[in-house]
Amino acid sequence: MKSDKLIKTVFFVEILKGMALTFKTLFKPPVTRRYPLVPVPSKPGFRGLHALAKDNTGRMKCVGCGLCGAYCPSQCIHIYTTEGEDHSKVVERYEVDVLRCIFCGFCVEACPFGAITLSEHYEYSSYNRDDFYMTKEKLLANWDKYFEGEKGKQYFKKFWRPLTSDFKGDPEQAMFSKIQRRGK
Amino acid sequence: MTELFSQFLNPLLIPFIGAEFAAMAVNIIVILIKVAVVVAVALLHVAYATYWERKVIGHMQLRLGPREVGPFGLLQPFADGVKLFFKEDIIPDNADKPIFYLAPVIFFVAALTSLSVLPFFDGFVIADINVGLLFLFAMSSLGAYGIVMSGWSSGSKYAFLGGLRSASQVISYEIAMGLSLVGVMIMAGSLNLTEIVRAQYESTFSFYAIPQVMGFFVFFVAMFAETNRLPFDLPEAESELVAGYFTEYSGFRFAMFFLGEYTGMLIMSSMATICFLGGWTLPKFIMDALPFLSSLPAFVWVAVFLAKVYVFMFLFYWVRATLPRYRYDQLMNIGWKVLIPIALVNITVTGLAKIWFKGMI
Repeated sequence: MKSDKLIKTVFFVEILKGMALTFKTLFKPPVTRRYPLVPVPSKPGFRGLHALAKDNTGRMKCVGCGLCGAYCPSQCIHIYTTEGEDHSKVVERYEVDVLRCIFCGFCVEACPFGAITLSEHYEYSSYNRDDFYMTKEKLLANWDKYFEGEKGKQYFKKFWRPLTSDFKGDPEQAMFSKIQRRGK
Repeated sequence: MTELFSQFLNPLLIPFIGAEFAAMAVNIIVILIKVAVVVAVALLHVAYATYWERKVIGHMQLRLGPREVGPFGLLQPFADGVKLFFKEDIIPDNADKPIFYLAPVIFFVAALTSLSVLPFFDGFVIADINVGLLFLFAMSSLGAYGIVMSGWSSGSKYAFLGGLRSASQVISYEIAMGLSLVGVMIMAGSLNLTEIVRAQYESTFSFYAIPQVMGFFVFFVAMFAETNRLPFDLPEAESELVAGYFTEYSGFRFAMFFLGEYTGMLIMSSMATICFLGGWTLPKFIMDALPFLSSLPAFVWVAVFLAKVYVFMFLFYWVRATLPRYRYDQLMNIGWKVLIPIALVNITVTGLAKIWFKGMI
């Protein structure tokens, strides 16, 4: 045992092992992500910039119930509704203060109509604070930009409640199955 | 080279200053040209030594290293230089100003002066003095004065501690380094670096690293300590002393320390190449096997010299990427209790072998 240790000390076995390791690492591909040059695709379900969903006819899905605003922990959603000509509820203004938003996604969970969404878009820096104050028009435009076509249709099915387009809930989803069991 | 210049310049100079002074002027011009070439090439090497260090260590840590400035980041050293040059020159209030100004100059000049005795290929030395090796030791000790003075004059406790550490470290390891090369001196029978390389080429193994393996080991370890590189970078230990002796330096004064350190690395690598790896020569058996090599012009062999220097530079980076810093008492123990005894044993063995087996080694 002692001669073992002596040999190890004299011939620097440990140091040479370490040197061999670093030399091997020299030829491994680096893990660096060259982000601005090579964009990093966001993971599915990433909570990025907000968007207001549109239905098949192109109308805004939001009905102005205000649940998202009530749930919002940072209180950054402001909704103003008025009465339309046919006594229906009209969403006059729907505004998200993105600089206050913490991207918890509670609004998406809360919305019974799947109207408010979080897109996978995250590169929206600006020199101007106003650019981060999302009005209804901007939010609807975001839907067209980041959820065009199939992407928008698939969005809720994958990650958010309700999973189905008829808002019945998917039996395999943990949350809903629990609620159903409690109901029984 | 001198003949070439005298052919061109003598007709111009002799009518004005006479033949004697003309010869002297030609000599001076040749030396100045040599100095310019060596300094320019050395500083370019220093610039790219920093680049390659960052690249090699980056890749050893699974990073990329610099690659934004120019193709593959090749202009990074110049970007760094320009940045340092235009930075504000901050001098602390309680600095001892004349010494504070002088310290980086001493450090840098001592490093650059060492270049003058290095033979880069056969016949290319700025100053072919017969105590070249001693001159190199003297200059590396002089560089330590720059460090100690910068630490003393900065008026900062971190710089002061760095300077003190450097002083004791350099003193300890200078002895080991000097003793490790005594074996080489005994074998070569000369202190002139060109003579050492020639004697080495004629010796049995063509590399003194093989018969002088103990001396080579001691020199190799002392080399890291002399240049204040990891694992012996206690004078500038970032985690303990901010930046050590150059904590208070900024701008181009800092750059001088930086350049001096890397020039020191180049010089230590060159010393190791010249004294242990045969300088610009290839081993004799290769030369005998490929006879056409000896007909090549002398300056081609600078490539061999540089290749050997690069191996040592790579070892500097490699060790830096691998080893952690030694504790201070460990550093002193290695210096005094391990390296110096080994070097002394080496001297004894080499001396006895020289007497008993004349011409064998």
